[in-house]
Amino acid sequence: MKRKWSILVAGALALSLLVSACGGSKAPSGGSQTSSDEPRDGGTLTWSTTSDIITLNYFFINDTASQDVANLIYAYLYNVDEEGRLVVDDWCIASELPEVSEDGKTYTIKLKDTPKWSDGKRLTAEDVVFTLESFANKDVLSPQYANFDKIESVKALDERTVQVTLSTVFAPFETSGLYIQIMPKHAFEGYEPSQYKDAPFGKDPSKTIYSGPYIWTEWKQKQSLTFERNPNWWGPKKPHIDKIVYKIYADQNTEVQALLKGEVDLVTQIPVASLPAVEGKPGIKLIEGPGPVYDYLGFNFNPENWPDGFVPFAGIKTRQAIAHAINRQGLVDSVLQGHGVLLNGPFLPNGWAYTGAEINYEYNVEKAKQLLAEDGWTMGPDGYLQKDGHKFEFTLQFNTGNKRREAVAAIIQANLKEVGIKVNIEPLDFSSWIENHVTPGRYQAVLLGWSLSIDPDAESIFSSKFFPPNGQNSGWYKNEKVDELWVKGYSVIDPAERKKVYAELAKEITTDLPYVFLYQQNIIVGMRDRVKFKDEDKPVLSLPYGETRHIYNWWLSE
Amino acid sequence: MTEYLIRRILQSILVMFLVSIVTFGLIHAAPGGPVQIFLAPGQSPEVIELQKKQLGLDRPVHIQYIEWLGRMLKGDFGKTFKSGTPVASLIWPTLKNTIILMATSWLLALLIAIPWGVYNSTRQYGVSDNIAAIVGYAGFAMPAFWFGILLQLTFSLKLNLFPLSDMYTYGKEGNILDLLYHMVLPVTVLVLINLASYLRFSRASMLDVLSQDYVRTARAKGVPERLVVYKHALRNALIPIITVIGLDLPIVVAGATLTETVFNWPGMGRLFVEMAFAREYSALMAITMIITVAVILGNLLADILYALVDPRVRLGARGGEAS
Repeated sequence: MKRKWSILVAGALALSLLVSACGGSKAPSGGSQTSSDEPRDGGTLTWSTTSDIITLNYFFINDTASQDVANLIYAYLYNVDEEGRLVVDDWCIASELPEVSEDGKTYTIKLKDTPKWSDGKRLTAEDVVFTLESFANKDVLSPQYANFDKIESVKALDERTVQVTLSTVFAPFETSGLYIQIMPKHAFEGYEPSQYKDAPFGKDPSKTIYSGPYIWTEWKQKQSLTFERNPNWWGPKKPHIDKIVYKIYADQNTEVQALLKGEVDLVTQIPVASLPAVEGKPGIKLIEGPGPVYDYLGFNFNPENWPDGFVPFAGIKTRQAIAHAINRQGLVDSVLQGHGVLLNGPFLPNGWAYTGAEINYEYNVEKAKQLLAEDGWTMGPDGYLQKDGHKFEFTLQFNTGNKRREAVAAIIQANLKEVGIKVNIEPLDFSSWIENHVTPGRYQAVLLGWSLSIDPDAESIFSSKFFPPNGQNSGWYKNEKVDELWVKGYSVIDPAERKKVYAELAKEITTDLPYVFLYQQNIIVGMRDRVKFKDEDKPVLSLPYGETRHIYNWWLSE
Repeated sequence: MTEYLIRRILQSILVMFLVSIVTFGLIHAAPGGPVQIFLAPGQSPEVIELQKKQLGLDRPVHIQYIEWLGRMLKGDFGKTFKSGTPVASLIWPTLKNTIILMATSWLLALLIAIPWGVYNSTRQYGVSDNIAAIVGYAGFAMPAFWFGILLQLTFSLKLNLFPLSDMYTYGKEGNILDLLYHMVLPVTVLVLINLASYLRFSRASMLDVLSQDYVRTARAKGVPERLVVYKHALRNALIPIITVIGLDLPIVVAGATLTETVFNWPGMGRLFVEMAFAREYSALMAITMIITVAVILGNLLADILYALVDPRVRLGARGGEAS
């Protein structure tokens, strides 16, 4: 649905080091704890977060906190299953899966009869058209505009049917464009598209209109948000929990202590450093698994970034050697303390497109040295490799304050020194780094991460069509076969066909290595034992916002 | 006095103007802008330009400054880039929360430190003086967040005597007793931290005065020691203390980022850090201007208090004797 930089700045203050014991604690098993007792209605669930929302005006949501709670109050057009495929369920607006035309460009969407807004008005095809058109309207300037720029036209065929036509066949649109929430057209009447941001909708609970199982009743800035069951909820099932308080903590440490004290029932992101404080404590259960995020070491192939235009990464064997020289499993074991898994390619292992065709470069210093020698590198007198009079040296950039990447950069530096490559480390402030180095593609190597979207398409990261400043291929990577495969991947609609293309891509990209893929970090959810759910409603940590995916079916035991 | 006040106010306006120019320039010169943070990655340059245009960031900095000044003179702090929320609605409630916490701790620190420091000056290296020295060193040396977490672990998690964090229990907002209950731990941290410097300062200032000739004269002519200390010496010793108080006043509005963070207090320190990371220029400018006003008021207050304590400065020191 959304692609984001994986920032996780670790808070300006990084206080979380305190509660840590830095022990090599074992990861709790990913299994969920279910309860045999029957669901009961009522109660207040307190869910904590470390940042306040920015807006609940869906067109402008681009942060985790806001989307976390938007998921409670606005119904989705479609939902997705655990592997990220579009589904129709009791909680979504559409009545059946979209019908795709022969040419693959037109989607016909049928809506249920029942959906209505919290003010009593019916939720109709007009609202769906309004939402899609607004996202695709440049004047609205939604930060998610890029997901909707292939829309050619949207029209309501009748009150319950919407037809979306794309300018080109684009399979990822199914999730990026249809797994969305719908906004009420009547809430924006009287506003020009360029003024949607100024509307009180999404900022003032009493001036916002809801379509989800919960409504937003209070916002105490920097303190808490309150959500209560929507009395006008139209679905066949009602949520069990009466009230959800989304409580804001400035410090992750305080947040974890509040969980221990029982002031908070649910913490969706427990930092690894705080784990020893909660592990094995009575009354608390932990659920852990790899999240939809990964870190990578990215190479830059643009000669302009290199002295004399000599790109040391130019040879494929050199890149493969670097992958062999980095102790990736060691990174997972030491830096992540085991709370993560190796990742070999750009596709989510839990997603439907994953085939395991990626190449795994095991840690092997001898192999690395051999590959480097085969690529023409010779050892210089200073202990570093050289080729054609150039020393193998590069600068690795990452964002300041991110403790994880700091540690990873230091290990990469040490690992590559082993094989004769000199790495200079340069931490930079996130915002200026992105603006001055990453977006324009001016760097030698970066340590950065991606939050993965549900669809496997990642053309804008790896295709030469997306060189800076037009796209996110900031390393100027070019491989014609890869370019073609991405296009093929989104130009066929049939998922089985797509899967084959992505298997081929996985192999090609991990042979050619524009990045060294490092690891997926685990997400650790902590909750009090009173929070109960059936096994099928447990958090799905591999999906974006999967922690509270079926929160409507959860209940409180006391 | 009136003429003096008018002169000071005019000076203050000039200072505020200069501070605003420098701050505005620095904020805009800092690398990285709000658009990069706001937009999802992968937008075309065209969309980025449109966004900059809509937010008014495409124009030269001096034009943006003049627009900002115009709005500010009308009392409009502007809106945030990300959500269009009026900055004023972010700042005023936060400012109130910070003043509640900071003013209480600051006044408490002063009320404890000054009498204690004065008393210690008369019994140098006595038991009380030694205890004060230890408290002082501890206050200087202990990081606020570390001490805060220590208090939380002991008095909230272990002993369950005080709330862990926040201003109010959820659902009890506005209840004064609940507020006081929640203030105990953070105020303890802040008092201890402020105590240190005021203790040392009042003691030193007092010792300085007590060694002066006129004090010896007073003692020589048989004035009782109590009167020497509390009548003759104290007044003069207060002058440097007042200077420090005046200079420190701005912390009451600027907040204490670390303590606010640990105790989850929704105050200005936290707001400023958040806004700085998000590059919310309007909010940053508004906070800076509020702190500037506090600095100016603190200095003004110190000057007025001098006049009250020391008659020699009362007439603007013109033609008065220098001391």
